[in-house]
Amino acid sequence: MTAALRSELLKQRSTSTTLGLFATLLGLVLLAELLHGFGLPVGNLQTAAQQLNILQPGELIGTLLAALLGAMSITGEIRHGTIRPTLLVSPHRGCVLTAKIWASMLAGAGFGLTAAIVAIAVSVAALRARGIAVHLATRDYLLAPLGGAAAAALWAAIGVGVGAVVRNQVATLVGLCAWLLFVEKLIFGDLARLNIGRYLPGTAAAAISGQRPEMRLLAPWTALLLLAAYTAAAAAAGWLQTNRRDAA
Amino acid sequence: MNDSSAVTVRSLTKRYGGVVAVEDLTFALDTGTVAGFVGPNGAGKSTTLRVLLGLAEPTSGEALVFGRRYRDLDDPVRRVGAVLESNDFHPARSGRNHLRALALAAEIPYRRVEEVLQLVELADAADRRVKTYSLGMRQRLGLAVALLGDPELLILDEPANGLDPTGVHWLRRFIRGFADRGGTVLVSSHVLAELAQLIDQVLIIDHGRLLAATRLDELTERGQTLEDAYLELTKEGS
Repeated sequence: MTAALRSELLKQRSTSTTLGLFATLLGLVLLAELLHGFGLPVGNLQTAAQQLNILQPGELIGTLLAALLGAMSITGEIRHGTIRPTLLVSPHRGCVLTAKIWASMLAGAGFGLTAAIVAIAVSVAALRARGIAVHLATRDYLLAPLGGAAAAALWAAIGVGVGAVVRNQVATLVGLCAWLLFVEKLIFGDLARLNIGRYLPGTAAAAISGQRPEMRLLAPWTALLLLAAYTAAAAAAGWLQTNRRDAA
Repeated sequence: MNDSSAVTVRSLTKRYGGVVAVEDLTFALDTGTVAGFVGPNGAGKSTTLRVLLGLAEPTSGEALVFGRRYRDLDDPVRRVGAVLESNDFHPARSGRNHLRALALAAEIPYRRVEEVLQLVELADAADRRVKTYSLGMRQRLGLAVALLGDPELLILDEPANGLDPTGVHWLRRFIRGFADRGGTVLVSSHVLAELAQLIDQVLIIDHGRLLAATRLDELTERGQTLEDAYLELTKEGS
């Protein structure tokens, strides 16, 4: 298992994919937080809840790019055919999938942590620059990076599971983007009053770091457990499909 | 079929949906032999090799290496090396890192990566991204992967595909050297004249069925070339 994990970590850092995703993450978080911090009217940035809300794009971008990273770790191998030598060297597919999940969670946690820290730094700087009193508490400063890291790590694992089931790289990446950026928002938007939306995996991810408090989210610990359950389900589905199907 | 068989295929059938790729295929390969696996496109050669290597599941029957399923071997990489496709690489990863990632998974020291790079004459290009490699270089990198574990059995699917004459010459020398050191080789190819210079045994299949399994010298004793036998058998079969 350790051997497979070390192999996955080398694969992760020996192409420019991870770095490219990380650079995209930095660029998007900077852009989103600058736009929110300097663009929103002062009246929308007064309360602690409003100030927490502008950290939300950071969490979402961290989670999304971590999910893409996880998905690419498996669909990239299928796309380029490296899955064949990989499985010849490690014929136990469950072991390969588990190694991919751990490696992706590790990088995913880094993505989430970075996104949250950049989001906080830019937002606080923007508020200060505009002379708005910052109402974020110590709990917020801790919960945003830790929750963001946990959410992104779990979503990276979900990405691996979804990728193992879907297998096609483009379909997987488009599907994950569509789910996190549109589907949940639409469902959440319409069904918020029925309390269904907050149980969805993307919204649960946001709840871990206490984002979007106006949306009646789950408590962070509950959200963490729920997202972990989604992750386990995605990993199990990936495991089943990987073992059932011919690899090549 | 005895314990000295490097490869044992028994009543192997593989269907994809309704399409039969391999049907009731049975053959065995003794250790130390170099066997050619020939047949028209779509005859079921690649499918057989994939099932043999555990990448695809048989519909029925079994395909064993050293008497066991590939995935049940204790240390598969040190017993079997295989090249199935000429381009199973991430284009943006260097040849050296491709080998290192696989070496890590197999717990093979990086020292061995450098050895196989020398062996396939890729040491100078090892830090270049694979997308800059020629087809011949990719074939050699694939062979380097197969050799990582210093295996006893080599399984090669169309290793000469797209190679220039120098590459073909290099490959022939390479396979001969491997066999001279006692290795077993199962190699599929369409280049029959080339193959005839290498192999002691030939397996001819068509439509997923075995048409002939014979020693090459038995063919030549009958005054036939490998090509004669192939054309005669595959004509009857179709």
